Amino acid sequence: MRNTRDTQLLFDLSKPGRRAARLPACDVPETAIEDLLPASAVAAAPPALPEVPEPQIIRHYLNLSTLNMSVDTHFYPLGSCTMKYNPKRNERAAAMPGFADLHPLQPAETIQGMLHVLYEMQQYLSEISGLPACSLQPAAGAQGEYAALLVAAAYFRDIGQAAQRRKVLAPDNAHGTNPASAVMAGFNTITVKTRSNGGVDMEDFYKKLDDNIAVFMITNPNTVGIFEPNMREIADAVHAKGGLVYLDGANMNAILGVTRPGDFGADMQHYNPHKTFSGPHGGGGPGAGPICVTEVLAKYLPSPMVVKEEESGVRDQESAGTSSLGRDLTPDSRHLTPKYRLDYNRPHSIGRVRSFFGNVGVLLRAYCYIRTHGPDGLRRVSENAVLNANYLLSKVKHILPVPQGDRCMHEFVASGSKLKAERGVAAMDLAKRLLDFGYHAPTVYFPLTVPEAIMVEPTETESKETLDAFAETLFRITGEDPELLHEAPHTTAISRPDEVQAARNPMLCCRVD
Amino acid sequence: MPYHYNTPEDQREMLDAIGAASIDELFAPIPDALQLKRPLNLPPALSEMELDQHLRQLTALNDHAGTKVCFLGGGSYDHFVPSVCDVIGSRSEFYTSYTPYQAEASQGNLQVMFEYQSLITRLTGLDVANSSLYDGASAAAEAALMALHAGGNRTKVIAPSTLHPEYRQTIATYFENIDAELVTLDCPAGVLDADALAAAIDDRTAAVILQQPNFFGCIEDADRVAAVAKGAGALLVAVFDPISLGLLKRPGDYGANIAVAEGHTLGTPMSYGGPYLGIMACDNSLVRRMPGRIVGETTDRRGKKCYVLTMQTREQHIRRDKATSNVCTNQALFAVRASVYLAQAGPQGLRETANLCLQKTRYLAEQLCQHDRFSQAFDAPTFKEVVIRDAENNVAGLLRDALDAGYLAGLPLGRWYPELSDCFLVAVTEKRTKADIDALVKSLTAKSARQPAHV
Repeated sequence: MRNTRDTQLLFDLSKPGRRAARLPACDVPETAIEDLLPASAVAAAPPALPEVPEPQIIRHYLNLSTLNMSVDTHFYPLGSCTMKYNPKRNERAAAMPGFADLHPLQPAETIQGMLHVLYEMQQYLSEISGLPACSLQPAAGAQGEYAALLVAAAYFRDIGQAAQRRKVLAPDNAHGTNPASAVMAGFNTITVKTRSNGGVDMEDFYKKLDDNIAVFMITNPNTVGIFEPNMREIADAVHAKGGLVYLDGANMNAILGVTRPGDFGADMQHYNPHKTFSGPHGGGGPGAGPICVTEVLAKYLPSPMVVKEEESGVRDQESAGTSSLGRDLTPDSRHLTPKYRLDYNRPHSIGRVRSFFGNVGVLLRAYCYIRTHGPDGLRRVSENAVLNANYLLSKVKHILPVPQGDRCMHEFVASGSKLKAERGVAAMDLAKRLLDFGYHAPTVYFPLTVPEAIMVEPTETESKETLDAFAETLFRITGEDPELLHEAPHTTAISRPDEVQAARNPMLCCRVD
Repeated sequence: MPYHYNTPEDQREMLDAIGAASIDELFAPIPDALQLKRPLNLPPALSEMELDQHLRQLTALNDHAGTKVCFLGGGSYDHFVPSVCDVIGSRSEFYTSYTPYQAEASQGNLQVMFEYQSLITRLTGLDVANSSLYDGASAAAEAALMALHAGGNRTKVIAPSTLHPEYRQTIATYFENIDAELVTLDCPAGVLDADALAAAIDDRTAAVILQQPNFFGCIEDADRVAAVAKGAGALLVAVFDPISLGLLKRPGDYGANIAVAEGHTLGTPMSYGGPYLGIMACDNSLVRRMPGRIVGETTDRRGKKCYVLTMQTREQHIRRDKATSNVCTNQALFAVRASVYLAQAGPQGLRETANLCLQKTRYLAEQLCQHDRFSQAFDAPTFKEVVIRDAENNVAGLLRDALDAGYLAGLPLGRWYPELSDCFLVAVTEKRTKADIDALVKSLTAKSARQPAHV
């Protein structure tokens, strides 16, 4: 039960002399700090952290947690974000000491199990994308985009076209990270128009396509939830001009085992394992952003990569029988040559975009997800994601117009413009009112190309009953008094925040007394 | 299948409502020639029990900090993770929630992020903090970009070789295709020589990046470096170790304009290097150039104090190609864990933790260097890491023997510093006991039968 009495600021709970942590006594001979560290480097006192005992810490954070919606507690029809259920078995796996307590710079012979998982992940992601080379290093989708664009830049430098190829084209309904990543990678961005169905405006595309193109960035299925009708033609035209095609893989949940980016013309792509492969969103992160590329681009990928040595005499883990203890009961095989190792010797590589190997904890959850689904299961994921989205579209289109038509892939974008014109109710009002009924709001006002956009992605992990109830609620809300909607939400911990005030007079931390 | 609900009957009813004959028909917009006409070449599905067995088999092939005593550092450390961090971090409402764009349904996350930012400003002595970035290295690269943008025509960033090599590599990658130059200053003494910095710095220098304590564990003369940077009109970017601030001066105290850190040490396990927590704080003048999400305090329509994502006009989803950075996600869940860690530590706990690291590192260095074979490579004082030189120049063999004896004893430095190929870096956290250290010293000083390494 929600307890809003105990949600004061952490700092208000502090009282000098209170504490939670108890550390062991120092068991080595102690030397005075002033004899070990130069006086100029030592602080007069430790930082003014709050002093709070453990019971109060737990109550504070647990009561705050109840002020959040979450996938485990609510339906999140949040377009473009793939808020699917996060399987608990994945959490247990990532917490196993044999993974969680590995130091990132341990010798290869001590981490063969870890490297096995990561090597297999490189293989799996390549197979799912149809692009043969994979780097697991990028820390998030946006960093994956950025790393792939650096790969493209390195490729063009290598073939002597760096000076010529300065342009990155992206549709106007692309995620904001696309143009932002392109600029960081040193390119100029050109926006290509889209049509009302979300597809690329081919006339505008050809007008902007020339010999200076480096990369065309496309999200497919796009942010409207449509498979790009001219995908093959676009890819062929970009390739004919010597450019590369980048796939923003945010919407891979629609096409697992159905079609592959490498097969429809992409040269590079990133994944969002925290979307497609069920990594939890964590209130904003961590995610991960592994990328796959063609053979030609493989040598430019970030370093290191996991490589598998030629036959080393180590038994294959997959084919050997396993005891129910999950342990190999034969003598320790680790003194043989390591089967897997990290390859740093990659002279064409763009280098690294972060420390250590990658967001392994997120990748491990994705590995568990892929292993527990198998090839058929992954296809069923996409089938049911697309079925759920189309079913919800078939219900919602009677309530709100869906300009893209009667069909979609994994998500669709309804428009609240008629509702706004007729009743003065904005998409934001609808979104906020849904919170009162226990639904997380859909994504609103994105993509910018649909007026009063309401972007809905139910994912495959919701039942028909949930979708029915959501559609009924949406219908009920559109008939409510507009005044009620303007003031929504009414039942949440707060009403609408004053965002203008927050930006104009930024108060970004609590004041030190 | 495991996680979706639709029964064949549900599917039939849903298809009828849609007006489609089959699920395949829903994929008709994908041209037939582009459809994959075979199953993905992936291993067959495992049940949860089989997955569990499979993972146990794999983890049995891993040595980890629970089976070998870990003295590895270099940016990732075997610090203690208190139980409260796991309890709060595994709370569904934190780990399965989305980015708090809907403030009314996210006050828990928003308040925790606001508190996190407040904790980081107190920790660093700077004015503002964002709600986190990917990791320490990319945070350092973002800080360098901030400094370049703030510096107008200044295109040079100086980093001593005592900055973590992977951080320097990351920054170099970020600079590859833009008008920026990373200048590395060699530091033969294991710390940056302020005079060498003064000779290298000029009016084209946007920033100096100083790691304190540095990659070798040594304490830099931050005051002098800051003075040189300031004198040339450059910004000082500090890369700090959060645990060290239980004892050491805060970046803001010695004049850093931007401070970044790897924050996994605050309550998140090593996890083979990620996901981690990129901490960033800066002074007020730079706040609008800061990348990443920022939470601010405001009021709701009823006048109630509340929290909201703010200054979003810096960010990619609003400004697209004009954004300060392409960063979208943060590491909110680990910012939660870091907040819990700092709250449970308090000022005294942080100080005691730092002191244990300091004392134990000192003890290890003293014990080891009583033996003729070993010496400290650098004279500068150290915090929780120390570079040990092997007079027999057989670091690989030494570390392999130590591994056989049960120790992840240190990082060989030759990979990053060829001139230090006879050296290794040892880290000692508060978790290591005197018995661990004594046994490691005994192991390292035992007469080795092994010949010099064949690598």
